[in-house]
Amino acid sequence: MSSAAASAETADSSIASRVRAEIERAIQRNIKGLQYLTSSPPTLGLTPKDVIYSRGTLKLYHYRPIAGEVYRVPVLLTMSLVSKAYILDLAPGQSVVEFLLKQGFDVYMIDWGIPRPEDSRLRLEDYVLDFMPDCIRRILADSGEPDISIIGYCMGGVLALLYAALHLDGPLRNLICLTTPVNYDGMGLMRRWSDRRYFDVDRIVDTLGNVPPEMLSASFEMLRPVGRVVTQIRLWDNMWNDEFVKSYRMFDRWAADQIPFPGECFRQTTKELMWENKLYKKELVLGGRLVDISKIRVSLLAVMAEHDHIVPHEAAKDLVGIVSSPDKSEIVLKGGHVSLVAGPNASRRLWPELDRWLSERST
Amino acid sequence: MADQRNSTFDPLASWRNWLSDAETRWNSFFNQMMGTDQFSRAMSGFTELFLNVQKSMTEAMGQYFSALNLPTRTDVISQGERLSKIEERLTSIEASLARPARAGGAPEGASIPVQRPPRTKQPQSKREGSR
Repeated sequence: MSSAAASAETADSSIASRVRAEIERAIQRNIKGLQYLTSSPPTLGLTPKDVIYSRGTLKLYHYRPIAGEVYRVPVLLTMSLVSKAYILDLAPGQSVVEFLLKQGFDVYMIDWGIPRPEDSRLRLEDYVLDFMPDCIRRILADSGEPDISIIGYCMGGVLALLYAALHLDGPLRNLICLTTPVNYDGMGLMRRWSDRRYFDVDRIVDTLGNVPPEMLSASFEMLRPVGRVVTQIRLWDNMWNDEFVKSYRMFDRWAADQIPFPGECFRQTTKELMWENKLYKKELVLGGRLVDISKIRVSLLAVMAEHDHIVPHEAAKDLVGIVSSPDKSEIVLKGGHVSLVAGPNASRRLWPELDRWLSERST
Repeated sequence: MADQRNSTFDPLASWRNWLSDAETRWNSFFNQMMGTDQFSRAMSGFTELFLNVQKSMTEAMGQYFSALNLPTRTDVISQGERLSKIEERLTSIEASLARPARAGGAPEGASIPVQRPPRTKQPQSKREGSR
């Protein structure tokens, strides 16, 4: 047989095998699609932990150490006020909490909980001058250590920054800000939609109290208007792939599980941060004290996502330039706002960077 | 070369690429449209309408519940506030009760005593350097 005939035959068999594989996938899609529709959503946030303090809806978790020896400095994770904390602890193998525990960190997390109607009066001052210091005091007592590292994600990073700027004499030692907006002029569409000429934040808060999660998720989804449709098509295309479906369900459950934004805090965030950009301009006053983030001197790592549509690079990129920390660095990683911290890509890109940076500064 | 081409042949690959490109293009198109003043004004009008409906409904339902001698949302919220205050008082009472235990050695805020690993771990670089 000539070589041309042999390669033609190989090509035929390759096409045949691909077609066969596609038919098998189509069958699997139908079978697994039915299973998908009839099975219950996955349970998330299962890494073993103890509630060491609770106050209203706030819960302070201490995750049970996995490693036989841990770094001296405890690590506190702070989440945004608009999302549930379990994005940082999705499932075994997809949990940054589990990863940090395995690397030998002593991990704590503040879960703000679901704001109650009466929590609509909470302001940023309550979070950074009361709740966070209270929790940190308890972590130091629990761990017996004099200092702490904080990892803040999204608005959790803003809270951590505010805390750092208002507690310059410690006990904060290291600060990691993940996709944290600093310059709100760079917030793109979010800023346009909250334009003070049209957006009546007072009316919203005065009428509704806490801002309903549906309003927040709708605005996040509008940033990528066709995203949901395309995601559904991709889900159907990958219905045969158990790993893809499992991952999709975890993220989808989290994305659909948004929580209300405490009203007064929303008013403050809109007026003082989004409209006036006071954090960036160093004009923000909380509890009668000026918040000047340029005075922050703790070791700082800022991490941004290349394709972040919620906190664009423009909004996050100035942090390292502003703070006075002698030890500061920034990383821009591939990925989006959520895939930066959770999921298979995060485990390859962000998590090893966190371990490398934090381990050097945690003894 | 033909083999190489065939071994990576995927009948649906071009459709998947098209889907990704289309997603980017449509998102970009809608984002441009939604970045205009007209859109912000329209969205504000919609929010205004929603808030007006919400306010009217809240008022009407409030009157309705009052007439039926049932608690309104405001009443439930004020009950919630009172419960929150009771919770806070309970937390502080718990803390006061825990103080005698701390006098016996347990630190403030300490959780139930558990076996904790030693806090002596060193980063990889230091471990390698000390070898």
